Amino acid sequence: MAPESAPLPETLAELAGMDPNSVPVMILMSLIGAALIGTLMMTNTALAGPWAKRKITAAFTDRIAVDRIGPFGLLIIVADSVRLLSKELIVPEGVDRPAWDLAPLLIASSALLGFAVIPMGNGLHLADPEVGLAYVFATASMASVGLVMAGYASNNKYSFLGGLRAVAQNLAYEIPLILTGASVVIFAGSLQMSEIVAAQSQTLIGPLPSWYAFVNPFAFALFMIANLAEVGRNPFDIPEAPTEIVAGYQTEYSSVYFVLIYLGEFIHIFLGGAIIATIFLGGPAGPVLPGIVWFLIKIWGVFLFTQWARSAVPRVRIDQLIEIGWKGMLVLSLANLLLTAVIVGVIA
Amino acid sequence: MSLEKPTTPAEIGVTEDGLDYDALADLLGGHVLDRETHVNAEGFVIRPDEVQDVLSTLKTEAGFDHCACVTAQEYDDRYESIYHLRKYDDPTQELSIVVPSPKDDPHNQSGARVYDTADWHEREAYDLVGIDYDDHPDLRRILLPDTWQGHPLSQDYNQSQPQIVTLRENANPLQDDKRSEDDPDTMFVNIGPHHPATHGVLHVKTVLDGEQIADIDPDIGYLHRCEEQMCQNGTYRHQIMPYPDRWDYVSAGILNEWAYARAAEDLADIEVPEYAQVIRTMSAELCRIAAHMLALGTFALDVFGDFTAIFQYAFRDREVVQNILEDLTGQRLMFNYLRLGGVAWDLPEPREEFFEKVRDFLDDLPYKLEEYHDLITGNEIFQMRCVDTGVLSPELAKSYGATGPVARGSGVDYDLRRDDPYGYYDELDWNVVTETGCDNFSRVLVRMREVEESARIIEQCVDLLEQWPEDDREIQANVPRTLRPDPDREIYRAVEAAKGELGIYIRSDGTDKPARFKIRSPCFSNLQTLPEMSQGEYIPDMIASLGSLDIVLGEVDR
Repeated sequence: MAPESAPLPETLAELAGMDPNSVPVMILMSLIGAALIGTLMMTNTALAGPWAKRKITAAFTDRIAVDRIGPFGLLIIVADSVRLLSKELIVPEGVDRPAWDLAPLLIASSALLGFAVIPMGNGLHLADPEVGLAYVFATASMASVGLVMAGYASNNKYSFLGGLRAVAQNLAYEIPLILTGASVVIFAGSLQMSEIVAAQSQTLIGPLPSWYAFVNPFAFALFMIANLAEVGRNPFDIPEAPTEIVAGYQTEYSSVYFVLIYLGEFIHIFLGGAIIATIFLGGPAGPVLPGIVWFLIKIWGVFLFTQWARSAVPRVRIDQLIEIGWKGMLVLSLANLLLTAVIVGVIA
Repeated sequence: MSLEKPTTPAEIGVTEDGLDYDALADLLGGHVLDRETHVNAEGFVIRPDEVQDVLSTLKTEAGFDHCACVTAQEYDDRYESIYHLRKYDDPTQELSIVVPSPKDDPHNQSGARVYDTADWHEREAYDLVGIDYDDHPDLRRILLPDTWQGHPLSQDYNQSQPQIVTLRENANPLQDDKRSEDDPDTMFVNIGPHHPATHGVLHVKTVLDGEQIADIDPDIGYLHRCEEQMCQNGTYRHQIMPYPDRWDYVSAGILNEWAYARAAEDLADIEVPEYAQVIRTMSAELCRIAAHMLALGTFALDVFGDFTAIFQYAFRDREVVQNILEDLTGQRLMFNYLRLGGVAWDLPEPREEFFEKVRDFLDDLPYKLEEYHDLITGNEIFQMRCVDTGVLSPELAKSYGATGPVARGSGVDYDLRRDDPYGYYDELDWNVVTETGCDNFSRVLVRMREVEESARIIEQCVDLLEQWPEDDREIQANVPRTLRPDPDREIYRAVEAAKGELGIYIRSDGTDKPARFKIRSPCFSNLQTLPEMSQGEYIPDMIASLGSLDIVLGEVDR
């Protein structure tokens, strides 16, 4: 376990033969580590956005999807990148310029920040602060600010409605999300990501590991549902709702800005997957295969789940969404928190 | 309150063998100036300023609760509006109210206060023919732009007059925010004409109060292609039949063709051979299945919110129907298969192969429908979204002239295939489907159950066709090469198309082309109910209601 627990910048410094105690070296190595992890997640997103999403949806709907360019149509990723980047960037009249430009950047980057504290196995762990989990939730929530900025600055009524819906939805679902996350913190007794992962490394019954998904399936289910709302996928894709408000907050975005928003959404789904993998599915733990592979399998599993929901589940209405959030999820997650606290208090 | 049961209004004038028009004329007394004989019903000529009196008497006392259509036309010496009245209980009881108005200043009283449906029909008459309706709630153009000069179906219309109107002259919709005046907190949103959920180019002017609909006004006409005028310029025998395919163009072509065929055949007294009728019945029901599959898929698209599984499944299964229709007609979209007096050609050879293909499809259908029920109607979120939203009460449905699955979803038991039989329907064993929920969910259920009934009809047709003696396979009656119906015959005939009562009014003038060709589009009347359905509801419910109305803009705008 020793090499895996050392944060990535230190490992890099040792690999490069530099002094891990010097501040400039650590800054440099942190940047390199961040670039590495960022690239890894971006690669995942590139795979997911133009290719996997199409293939998965096609499989659900009896179609074939992309198969013309490259093996399994994989080169569509390149083709789509070129296509999207070569589109004209249309800036509508009357948009609130700095906010309108910053929103896509904020949406894309906020989710990426969260990966800094996620232990991905094989030493891919940029930082391990004691407030790890709180930090992840904080960065993930920053996207809401981006959504409001996009919706408000676009000078478009559909965007405006989408932005308002996004805030209402995130408010209603982030509280249950974090409360459910807090129940894990009670189990693990720490907010530190490495501690949470380590706490799940025992076995529960027989070969079953003591992942919190098995220890507390109720919390796991709650978290999965709240996460769907958090990343805005069916049945909770209200902020975009193509058939109602065109594309919500992203209606006026084109070209690179559109790519950034799209990218942000997918990174957000993967960040949701990463949080679930870390606090409920034992992080990078798993037999035979290396940790990073297991970690990727888990986050892709969550991605698959979101795509499944998207293909098969109708969208709820905005008032129903809020009702489910405040009257259902919040109460259930509070009950879960209370129950966990009692159980932990009695047993421990 | 009297305990005595009032005489049911439908009884006046009803006799064993049809309507007693004398009794109806007595009921109206001095209002009736003259009586005309149309092929489908008698026409009572009344004074232009007594329309409301006459219509409300007929509605309340004689039970004519269905104003199917308002036809307007211009003669050499007068303008004329015809209100085609029928009964929801028995649409064979028909009566035309003919309202002439003077040539120099054409105006007559509006019937919109009696029948809500007359609102849009009269707006269309005003727009295209140029008759003014007094006391109309909102008389403005409906199909053409507000700035249009002249009325295209009137006789003195100058077709070469340029119709160029700059944006500056036109009312600019962006100029003011069009907030509702009594509530400054509302917001005006244009939903459409380019919007993912409007099923074509429909423009819904919406005033929102938060997320709720304060007021909506469907704006149609973006797909107006002068279909009526084009039909007036075509010969009965050959040149009109291709047009109906283009009204409701989502694979309901043969149903539309049948509407024209039925009207024209009755106008010219053409008998269709029985064998051809069976083929027509089968192909029409195939079209209905294809159209309902599309309705189901797009409704799912509206509620699920994306091109999801159910949309693709519906299209996958519709594809099978399309292939069968392609084998039969040679076309996938614009079939042009029916002819006056029959069909274009017999079933494709080898017949066994064709029958097997149809049977395979029918055998698979129950499993497919079960799959749909699992995915759609059994889904709790779907039920949450659709039950008790977009409520249309039976009374409103009747008043707005709603027909087809929209009316049957509101519990109005009205299906022309049974009530006004044509083709081979009355020989076959099938049921009219109604649901009493009056909401979006009921309308979807009606369509899904109608697919089952259509499958039953097709199955019986296939059996019949298979056993049909080979020397009796007459597909076409003897029809003169140039058809010239007798002059001044007028007819209104309707069939049960995929969306409801698709009626055609034709007036002949002795030439080989109709003097007036009027299309009563079911979607046009059904769409009128949208504001009633979605007042006070959320945007998503309005979108769902729109989807459940299953409009095709090609038919709304014609």
